[in-house]
Amino acid sequence: MLRFLSLRLGRAALTIVLVVTFAFVVLRLSGDPAMLIMGAEASPEAIAAFRASWGLDEPIWVQYFAYFGALAQGDLGMSMRDGRPALDMVLDRVPATLALTVPALLIKIGLGIPAGIYAALHRDSAIDRAVMVLAIAGFTVPSFVLSLLLVLLFAVKLGWLPSGGNQTLLHAVLPVLTLGIGGAAILARFTRSAMLEVLNQPYVRTASAKGVPWRRVVVGHVLPNAMIPTVTIIGFMVGNLIAGAVVVESVFSWPGIGRMLVTAVANRDLAVVQTILLLVAATMVAANLIVDLLYGVLDPRLRQAPAARGGH
Amino acid sequence: MLDLSRRSFLGVAGAAGGTLLLPRFALASADPRPSITIAVQKITNTNTLDVLREQSNVGERVFFSSLWEGLIGRNWGNKLEPVPLLATEWRRIDDKTVELTLRQGVKFHNGDELTAEDVVFSFSRERAFGTTEPANRTTVSVSGDGIPQPRAGMELPPEVPAVARRNWPDLVRVEAVDKYTVRFVNASPDVTLEGRIARYGSEIMSRRGWEEANSYLDWARKPITTGPYKVVEMVPDTSLTLEAHDEYWGGRPPLKRIRFVAVSEVPSRIAGLLSGEYQFACDIPPDQIAEIEANPAFEVQGGTILNHRLIVFDKHHPQLENPLIRRAMTHAIDRQAIVDALWAGRTVVPKGLQWDYYGDMFVSDWDVPAFDPKLAADMVKQAGYKGEPIPYRLLNNYYTAQVPTAQVLVEMWRQVGLNVQIEMKENWSQILERSPTRAVRDWSNSAPFSDPVSSIVNQHGPNGQQQQVGEWENKEANLLAAVLETSTDHAERKKAFRRMMEICEREDPAYTVLHQNATFTAKPKALKWKAAPAFAVDFRAGNWG
Repeated sequence: MLRFLSLRLGRAALTIVLVVTFAFVVLRLSGDPAMLIMGAEASPEAIAAFRASWGLDEPIWVQYFAYFGALAQGDLGMSMRDGRPALDMVLDRVPATLALTVPALLIKIGLGIPAGIYAALHRDSAIDRAVMVLAIAGFTVPSFVLSLLLVLLFAVKLGWLPSGGNQTLLHAVLPVLTLGIGGAAILARFTRSAMLEVLNQPYVRTASAKGVPWRRVVVGHVLPNAMIPTVTIIGFMVGNLIAGAVVVESVFSWPGIGRMLVTAVANRDLAVVQTILLLVAATMVAANLIVDLLYGVLDPRLRQAPAARGGH
Repeated sequence: MLDLSRRSFLGVAGAAGGTLLLPRFALASADPRPSITIAVQKITNTNTLDVLREQSNVGERVFFSSLWEGLIGRNWGNKLEPVPLLATEWRRIDDKTVELTLRQGVKFHNGDELTAEDVVFSFSRERAFGTTEPANRTTVSVSGDGIPQPRAGMELPPEVPAVARRNWPDLVRVEAVDKYTVRFVNASPDVTLEGRIARYGSEIMSRRGWEEANSYLDWARKPITTGPYKVVEMVPDTSLTLEAHDEYWGGRPPLKRIRFVAVSEVPSRIAGLLSGEYQFACDIPPDQIAEIEANPAFEVQGGTILNHRLIVFDKHHPQLENPLIRRAMTHAIDRQAIVDALWAGRTVVPKGLQWDYYGDMFVSDWDVPAFDPKLAADMVKQAGYKGEPIPYRLLNNYYTAQVPTAQVLVEMWRQVGLNVQIEMKENWSQILERSPTRAVRDWSNSAPFSDPVSSIVNQHGPNGQQQQVGEWENKEANLLAAVLETSTDHAERKKAFRRMMEICEREDPAYTVLHQNATFTAKPKALKWKAAPAFAVDFRAGNWG
C-alpha cells in the first residue's frame, strides 16, 4: 500500500511540475503582463516601470528559476494585478465555487444515477428512450447555451430567479442547475451503459435462473459491478469541483475560481494562474486516489495482489 | 440559559433563511432614494480606484462624476467643455504659472474640508511623482521638495509616478498661497496647463485619507475624495458599491447607492436588464441596439466619446515603405459605410485626429482622406506594388466590431489591388511585437484634455507609443510636436497642428482615422437620466429624475 501511495504521489508531483512549467512558458511567451494589465492606452514609461518592478525585463529562464525557487519555499508569489499574495486571493474564491459545484455534484449523482439505472432496467421502453433523449440533449447542449436558455426562461420570461450575481441563495439556483443538468446527463448515459453490460453477464442470468429475487440480483450483483465505471466518472467530477465552472461562472457573473482563472490568464497574472493550477492538480490527484481506493471497496478482487489473482 | 422552543427556533431559522433569500438592497434602511445596479463589462483593469493607476475608459466610467473630482471639471451634460469644479476660478500669473481659487466648504468623504494642503499633497512626490523629475527642471530653482521616504506599505506602484510624470512632464511644484489658493508652477512655458489641470489623473484627494490608510492597496480601493458618492466596498473583479455622500458640495445626491457589477458576457448583461436585475447595462454592442429597443420599455442611450478608432501603419514594413501604399489604403476606405453598417449609423466620421472640444485649436476645414477607390488604385499602380501580402494583426473584438470592421477593410483594400491578410493575435504584446510581419494594426486614441498635445503629440510624437515601438517617425513632425508643446503663440501652434496632421494623415501616413468611437448604455425608459458623450456616467442631482 505504501509503495502504491508513494508511486501515485511521485507521479502526481511530476505532473504538477510539468503543468506549472508548461503554463509558465506558454503564458510568458504569449503575452506581456505589463501591457495586458496596464492596457493599450498606457504610456511607454508606465509599461517600462511596471516591467522593471516585477522583474519582467529579466530573461525568461531567470524568471523561471526565481519562480521555482520561491515555490520550493512555499511562496506562490504575488498577483501582479492586485499586489496581494496569490494564494490568499485564490483561497478567497474557493468557497464561492464550491457553493456551486458541490450542490451541482449532488444533483448530478441524485438525478443521473437513478435515471441511468431506471432506463437500463426498462430497456427499450418509452421511459428509457425519453431518458436517453434528455441525457443526450443535456450532454450535447453547451453549458453556455443551456445557461442562457435557463436565464431567458426563469429570469426574463417568468421573473422567478435572478439572472446573475451572488448576493443571495436564489442567485445560485440557475448556475447550479446548469452545472447539474449537464453532469446528470453524462452520469445517466454511463450508468445505463454499465448496467446493460452487467445485466448481460452470465452470472446475472445464473442468479436469475436459480430463483434469486430480481431486486436482490440487481442490488447484490448488478449495481456493485456497474458502479465501477460510474465511480470513475464521479471521480473526474469531484476532481473538477474547483475548476469545473469556468463558463457558468462567467455567464452568471459568479465570483469564483473559474472567473478568476479567465481573468488571470487574460492578464497573464502568472502567480494567480499557477496557484489555481496547483490547486486543481491537487484536487484531481486526491480525487483519483479516492477513486482507486473505492475500486477496492466495490470489487474485492482488486484489493488482492496481482499474484493472488492469478496475474503475472 | 437561552430558552428556545421548537416553534421559536423554526421562526428564527425561517427569518434567517429569509434574509439569505432577500436581495441585499431590500435590507437597506428607510432612505427613500432609489438604489441602482449597473452591469458593466469590467469595473477596472487594475482592480484599484486610483486615477493615476487606472487609466482606462472603464475607469472613467466609475470615477466620473461619482467619485473623483478635479479643480477644473468637464461639462458631462454638454460638450465636455471645462467648468469650475473644486476651483471656482483660475488665472495665469505668467506663461509657466496658473493660480486657482478653491471652492470653500467642500467636504471630503471623511468630513474634512478641502484646503490647499490637500491639493498640494495630490501633486506631491509621496502621492504622485515619486522620484521622477520634470524634464526641464534645471531651468528653475527649487527648494524644500526633497524626496520623502514613503512609509511601509504606502510605496507607490512604479507605474503611478510614470503616469503622473507623463501627465505633467514639466511640473515643478504645486504651492499653497493661502488656505484656498494654489499655484501650479511649470518649469517651461506651457499653454496646456489648464487642460492638464482638467485632465483625468489630476483629481484631488484627502491628505488625511492617505495618511490614515494601512496600505496603498487599501487606500486605492477606498480613496477619500470629494465626489457625490463614496466607496462602501470594492470586491475585485466583481463589484463596486458606492453610497451617497450627503455632505456633497453640489447638493444631496439623488441615489442612495450605486452598485457596479462586472458581467463579462453581453447576453448576461442584456438578460439582467430585461429581468430587472440591473437598471443599466453598459457596453452594449451596436448590433444589439435594435434588439433591445424592440421592447418599448427600454432604450439605448449614448453615442460618440473622446476616442477615435484608427488604423496604424508600420512604415518600415517592406510593402509600406512607399508612402503611396499607405496613402492608397487611406483613400480606399469608405468610412461612412462602416459607420452605417456596423454602428447602426450611431457614430460619425470625424475631421481627423481632433475633437470639437479643442475649441480654437480645432481645424474645422480639415478632413480625413476622401473615399476615392480610383485614386487609391492609381497610387497602388504608381507604387509598383505586385500583390505581396501585407499582414494585418488583429485582436478578437478588443474594440467594438473590430473583427467585422477588419474584414470590411480587407475587402475595400482588395478592391484597389492591395493584398492585406488578417493575422489573429491574442493580446497587445503580440500585436506590437517587432518582427517582419508587423505592418497594419488597430488602435484608438483619446484626447484627455482639450489640446492636440493630448492626442497627436502624445500618441504619435517622439514620446508616443507609435514612435516608441518603432513603427513610424518623421523629423518634421517631431519638430512640430515640440512647437505644440512649448510655443505660447496660438497662431504658430495652430499652424503646427495643421501641418502635423498633413504629415501624419496625408503625406507620410502614420495612421488613418476610421470613425469616432461610441459607447452605448441600455436602461428602462422610465428612468430619467441622460448619457454623457463619454464613458463617464453622471448621477448627480441635475441628471436624475
